[in-house]
Amino acid sequence: MEKLKNYRSFFLIGCSECASLCGTGGDPELASMKEAIEAEGKTVTGTLLPKTGCQTLGTKIELKKDKEACAAADAIIVMSCGAGTQSAVEIFPDKPVFPSNDSLFLGNMTRFQIFDERCSLCGECILDQTGGICPVTGCPKGLLNGPCGGTDNGKCEVSPDIECAWVRIYERMKKTDQLEDFKKTLEPKDWSASRKPATLNTRQKKEEKK
Amino acid sequence: MSFRNALESGKFVVTAEVGPPKGTDIKKILHEAEMLKNKVDALNVTDNQSAVMRISSMSFCKLLLDMGHEPILQMTCRDRNRIGLQSDLLGAAILGIKNVLCMTGDHPNAGDHKEAKPVYDIESVQLLQVVDGLNSGRDMMGNDLMGSTDFYQGAVVTPEANPLEPQMMKFEKKINAGAHFFQTQAIYDIDKFRDFMTSARKFPVKILAGLVLLKSAGMANFMNKFVPGISVPQVLIDELKAAGKEKAMETGIEIMARHIRQLKDESVCDGIHIMAIGAEDKVPAIMERAGLL
Repeated sequence: MEKLKNYRSFFLIGCSECASLCGTGGDPELASMKEAIEAEGKTVTGTLLPKTGCQTLGTKIELKKDKEACAAADAIIVMSCGAGTQSAVEIFPDKPVFPSNDSLFLGNMTRFQIFDERCSLCGECILDQTGGICPVTGCPKGLLNGPCGGTDNGKCEVSPDIECAWVRIYERMKKTDQLEDFKKTLEPKDWSASRKPATLNTRQKKEEKK
Repeated sequence: MSFRNALESGKFVVTAEVGPPKGTDIKKILHEAEMLKNKVDALNVTDNQSAVMRISSMSFCKLLLDMGHEPILQMTCRDRNRIGLQSDLLGAAILGIKNVLCMTGDHPNAGDHKEAKPVYDIESVQLLQVVDGLNSGRDMMGNDLMGSTDFYQGAVVTPEANPLEPQMMKFEKKINAGAHFFQTQAIYDIDKFRDFMTSARKFPVKILAGLVLLKSAGMANFMNKFVPGISVPQVLIDELKAAGKEKAMETGIEIMARHIRQLKDESVCDGIHIMAIGAEDKVPAIMERAGLL
């Protein structure tokens, strides 16, 4: 809120995808943010729940109907992730855009609005060699060749709330008769595969394939 | 005799370890090192142990060399990426450091800089491969070195890990990656350790049993509860309790000396690694009591 004190009117953008699933940027959250801002004596000129906030072109088209409301706002607040926020930055070249959330991780929803991180988007998938469980993400040290000395009855040294990824991998590979693969030494990861900022053109790749 | 030669000659080898302090006052650690001179075959220098920031292992290894000690450089993968690790290994080589112990390293979460970015660009098995490569005159990318290293590289293993099987599979990976010797996590049950040695003896590597000095029953209970892979049998805890507070340290020394004699007399393993953890001044007494001096 500190950052917002110099502005009086806002347009709010949520997202129907992840942010709605997370309960951080769906319809109910847009409504409560509107309420909170108005309680501060400020104005909300309008809200939009786009289909996919990070899809810049689609969101821009959806915003056409809110042209006046957007123009009337001093600033935009985006209630999805850092990607959604930066799509809005692209759409509004002349207006300040602020995120309402910290973007934490790519989560698997294990129960309603309860999330676990299973994939780090490292760019070089090794799940085929680790029984389908990712140690790059699941092990706080990202170890590639088995448990460290800190594993204790299947728990991690970092926190007893973390199941040792390598014990989980071991148990699963034992069950699926893949322990021969467990014995193979994995090479150091190619971290250049996850170099920032990444770009990708899957359409071009498909065309090249044809 | 060098540490490598001592191990390869079949001598029952003794190593101990010192942890550099946080800060530049090294009087205490120099005194400990002085006391251990000509007593141990080599002296490990820990690498920011427990992820607590201290003097670098390599600097103190160099001081030990100057004193006439044979240091074992502990090297973890927590704080340096592959460029830093290789560069430090080359640096260690030109300082005359011959032995390196490759480990993954405690997570920053355990230490005093919990907000640090953990590196773990590579890990213990891969670091062993790196050392092997540098010894063969090439870096990780296969580039030729102008002058290769000649390290005697080792690793760690936890004989009482739970579950044990994945630990043993990693042990084998470390051997395949070039580990010549192992210093184990602390062991207190010689019979259980003998079972581990039965598996370990299948491989052409030297095993030094890790021994941590028990200073009190409370310390034993604490380790049982909080230190992964360490299990102090109840009978030893009772022995420490029976000795009373004043004689607990004395009893701890006696227990370790007894274990050392048994390991040596029955040729269970190739040597021992004494971790006195703050009571390094007791190491000569332990060795004397064990008949090693």
